[in-house]
Amino acid sequence: MATQAKAALASDLCPRVAMAVTGLVFVLLMVFGLLMRASQAGIMPLDPALFYQLMTAHGIGMVGASGFAGAAIMWYFMRQYVPVTNAIFWAITVIFLIGVVLILAAIFLMGAAPAWTFLYPLLAQSGGVWDANAALVYLIGLLLVGVAFLVFYLDVGWATIKAYGGLGRAMGWPQLFGAGGDAPPPAVVAGTVVTVVNTIALVPGAAIILISIVNVLIPSFGIDALIAKNMIYFFGHTFINAAIYMTIIAVYEIVPRYTGRPWKSTRIFLGAWFATLFMVMAVYPHHLFQDIVMPPWMLIMGQVLSYLSGFPILLVTTIGLLSNLYGSKVKWDLPLALLTLGVFGWAAGVVPAVLDGIISVNTVLHNTQFVPGHFHFYLLLGLVAMAFGFMLWLTRSRQSSSLSGFANLLLWLYVVGGLGVVGTFLYAGSASVPRRWAEHLPQWQGVDLIGALFSILVVLGALYFLIRYVVGFGGQPTSTEAAE
Amino acid sequence: MQATVLWITIVLVVIIAAIFYYVIRSSTGSATPESVQRSAGMIRQLLFWGALVVGVVVLYVTLRPWPHSLPGGEPIVVNVTGAQWSWEVQPETVPVGQPIVFATTSTDVNHGIGIYDQNMRLVAQSQSMPGWTNRVEYTFTEPGTYKILCLEYCGLQHHEMIAEITATSGTAALE
Repeated sequence: MATQAKAALASDLCPRVAMAVTGLVFVLLMVFGLLMRASQAGIMPLDPALFYQLMTAHGIGMVGASGFAGAAIMWYFMRQYVPVTNAIFWAITVIFLIGVVLILAAIFLMGAAPAWTFLYPLLAQSGGVWDANAALVYLIGLLLVGVAFLVFYLDVGWATIKAYGGLGRAMGWPQLFGAGGDAPPPAVVAGTVVTVVNTIALVPGAAIILISIVNVLIPSFGIDALIAKNMIYFFGHTFINAAIYMTIIAVYEIVPRYTGRPWKSTRIFLGAWFATLFMVMAVYPHHLFQDIVMPPWMLIMGQVLSYLSGFPILLVTTIGLLSNLYGSKVKWDLPLALLTLGVFGWAAGVVPAVLDGIISVNTVLHNTQFVPGHFHFYLLLGLVAMAFGFMLWLTRSRQSSSLSGFANLLLWLYVVGGLGVVGTFLYAGSASVPRRWAEHLPQWQGVDLIGALFSILVVLGALYFLIRYVVGFGGQPTSTEAAE
Repeated sequence: MQATVLWITIVLVVIIAAIFYYVIRSSTGSATPESVQRSAGMIRQLLFWGALVVGVVVLYVTLRPWPHSLPGGEPIVVNVTGAQWSWEVQPETVPVGQPIVFATTSTDVNHGIGIYDQNMRLVAQSQSMPGWTNRVEYTFTEPGTYKILCLEYCGLQHHEMIAEITATSGTAALE
């Protein structure tokens, strides 16, 4: 048994290390978030330059860490079905970390603060705050992170084609369109959709980074600001949504091991992922509703698809989870609670997101704190909760995953803190408080303070999950079966 | 508008939370997977068609008239140009009760105009982009001093990009 456990640990080591790194990054960046809210509240004012550096690190770090956590989860489960390469995952981990170091150096040593969206041409035109070298280091760091993800998806894509004979087959298209036989498992269907959309999205993402690099070196070489914005949001929207899709694979794979009810790739499931494949790439114009010169048909498409994008989430994954749990005599523990919380956060976060995806509503809510309100809903209470759920399942033992006493308290601190962070953002947004402002007017600071206090609860909860993971690092998820 | 959206959010989130609570409470009980799947299938169908009908209605109501439509004729135009980190607003005084078209652009990076009323409530906005001019219409209904805040992050002094525009019912408008 001991030998088996060691062998299992050795083969899992890379995703375990990856999750440890991302867990640590999550907690650190939550502290950054707390500092920013405290600064806006006026109780611990930060210099605006530092505020915007923290904001940039928080944004790019959370997006990168979310993508990396999702990739580790996807890799962990897909390797059961397709021959992904262990060495490549180690390699992309190293490339990713080098990119992260460069980005952090650009921000905190060289002063770059372009926000995670680095809207062109802000990096090259900082108003004298940071220089061309800082912009170049930031962009090269981003490029390395992008390369790491591209290599990851190419490896997964190649392995999937080898195992299933084509990407369409791996997404269950033959079964969706009437052919017989068993469809691939949900992890493969979701993983393949993500592989396709993110490979496509990384191309304009890499292109705008390269264009920005040339623009920094040769300022007379430029690109249309609106085209650049389209490229950035096409990439950014697809990437962060794909991060959630990758993380949800943990729910598809782990929850059935608790309930004893398999999560099947039904035609409805396959249809939902088929629709998601196209919708996730076409919905991005909802970020551009206030770029009024955009072609109206694109903005209408953004509004329609924003609404329809909620369907697969609510009708397939959420109902799928709830019907898997209902009456299953399941024994609750911390990992299962976090995974369930994650689906709740995702489903509930869709509500304000869809509302803000209505053009006339967006006119009075865009770039207010309503926006961080909705994305923190499905990231903080969604993706991050699921990632911690996966981590604690991965290293669980009967003791370490118990949901009694202290663990229960810390879980509730995280839930209440998360709802408080989200709620104060949404309220402040409805009161027209702009997002990404280092200094707030006095009448806004009461809500900021409440948000900061709730952030403390989130940090405490997340820190506890991380410590539990580190303490149980060598544990095995072998005793998860429903029969226990 | 904003308060309505917040309340819709709260109500729907509470409903979703209540459903999760109910299922979690029921998870330790016993039910056959077949009966659960049957019920789930019916709920899914109901939600699908219900959400589709609601979606079509919302789409129609919110897109007619086109939210970015501009008034006909020769409306009063206010040119708002952003530059790190200030606004140039011309003219700075406009009449109450007449449609105003804000034509906004930027000389450097992306900015965004957010027009705030006297209660600091956001009433209209648009992006200000280098190389492009966005046009957004707003009709002031109350005389007074309104603010224009930058709503697109543009660097170190983004939060200090605040300008004023005065709406007046007197003859001073446009002078």
